[in-house]
Amino acid sequence: MKSNVFLLLVFINSFCFSSFAQEQKMTDNEIAVFKQSVAMVSKKIKSLSTDFVQYKHLDFLSKDIETSGKMVFKEPNSLLWQYKKPYSYAIIFKNGKILINDEGKKSAVDIGNSKLFGKINKLIVGSVSGDLFDDKEFTISYFKNKNQNISKFVPKDAALKKYIKQIELTFDKEDATVVQVKLLESSADFTRIVLKNKVINAKIDEASFTN
Amino acid sequence: MQKSMKLLLRISCFLVLVLTSCATNTVVKDYATVALEKSSYDVPYFSNPTIDYVYKANITVYGNELSGIFIAKKINDTTHRVVFTTEFGNKLLDFEISETNFNVNFIVEELDRKMLINTLITDFRLLLRSHYAIKAQFDNTENEVYLSEEGKRLNYLFVSKSDNNLSKIVHSTKRKEKINLFFTSENNIFATKIIIQHKTIPLKIELNYFKDQTN
Repeated sequence: MKSNVFLLLVFINSFCFSSFAQEQKMTDNEIAVFKQSVAMVSKKIKSLSTDFVQYKHLDFLSKDIETSGKMVFKEPNSLLWQYKKPYSYAIIFKNGKILINDEGKKSAVDIGNSKLFGKINKLIVGSVSGDLFDDKEFTISYFKNKNQNISKFVPKDAALKKYIKQIELTFDKEDATVVQVKLLESSADFTRIVLKNKVINAKIDEASFTN
Repeated sequence: MQKSMKLLLRISCFLVLVLTSCATNTVVKDYATVALEKSSYDVPYFSNPTIDYVYKANITVYGNELSGIFIAKKINDTTHRVVFTTEFGNKLLDFEISETNFNVNFIVEELDRKMLINTLITDFRLLLRSHYAIKAQFDNTENEVYLSEEGKRLNYLFVSKSDNNLSKIVHSTKRKEKINLFFTSENNIFATKIIIQHKTIPLKIELNYFKDQTN
């Protein structure tokens, strides 16, 4: 019995320690330095392309649902989000329109001045480029671990809040770019998107954004 | 003359109505009734509690198209959890369904319509059901057909003779087909492609199994 209690204590202790080691709150000074470095990087971004792997975690499933593809962004607001595996599905945001190509089946939706879609577009680009630090839109908190900085965004907009409880952006400490986007629907269910092979400011052909 | 024409029209309308409502469905019209070989039929496609059943879903409803990811899992002896998300992973609906009960864990406001929920519950029950009591059996060169009754509703299960896979379920009343489900399966463990086609409303749901999902 005694040993059980001891083991429990060790376990709790190590757990606290590891979580302490993994994620720590940033100080005000660290926040200021971090925000500045991210702003400097994202300001320079005129175009961005990256591969991604999306893990959909639902607590009742035995493993995450994995999909992958590529994302391309070009200033001022052209965006391609393309799934290649296990199916082919592309969505393009361009000039107030959404173009969809679902396994060759093409469609277009005019979103005009839809506020929500505008926000979603800004959200995707902001998430990938790191330019999401808008205190009017989000309640933001800042954390760090050994190699990464993590910022957590809770939407203030009621419409957006219905779909997303929280967004977590993980930044590489070295180059201040986003390496992971996590969208939380509830405490148990979330979507985690890992960005790989990022290329900043390469020449992007406009044809990337046609359906 | 005009009066008699009107009368004739009325009579013929009445006759059409009576005749069509008396017509029986033609699901097993060209089949021979044979002796029952078994008293029940078990469908394997969604019955394994260790498998995450994940499909790309394309829904056509009243001319509108909707796509996303359909996920189903057997969570206990009687109940399946069913989730439909967008390609991005946002949950659109989250149900728990058994043959007698259902619970809506979550549904987005835009889909929260009683009629839609009831339609989906009927479809998902048909899709996920694993056990049918058999009342009658029919046969032709290609298929064995098992008839299962459920109150006023009938389910015809078409089992292909060539590979012994369940290839179709026709859900009907005595008079009219209501919903057809088509299954394509290579291993008789799960279905690689499923089509749920409604006969009374313009609704079609197509499900394609995730190719990379190996579990």
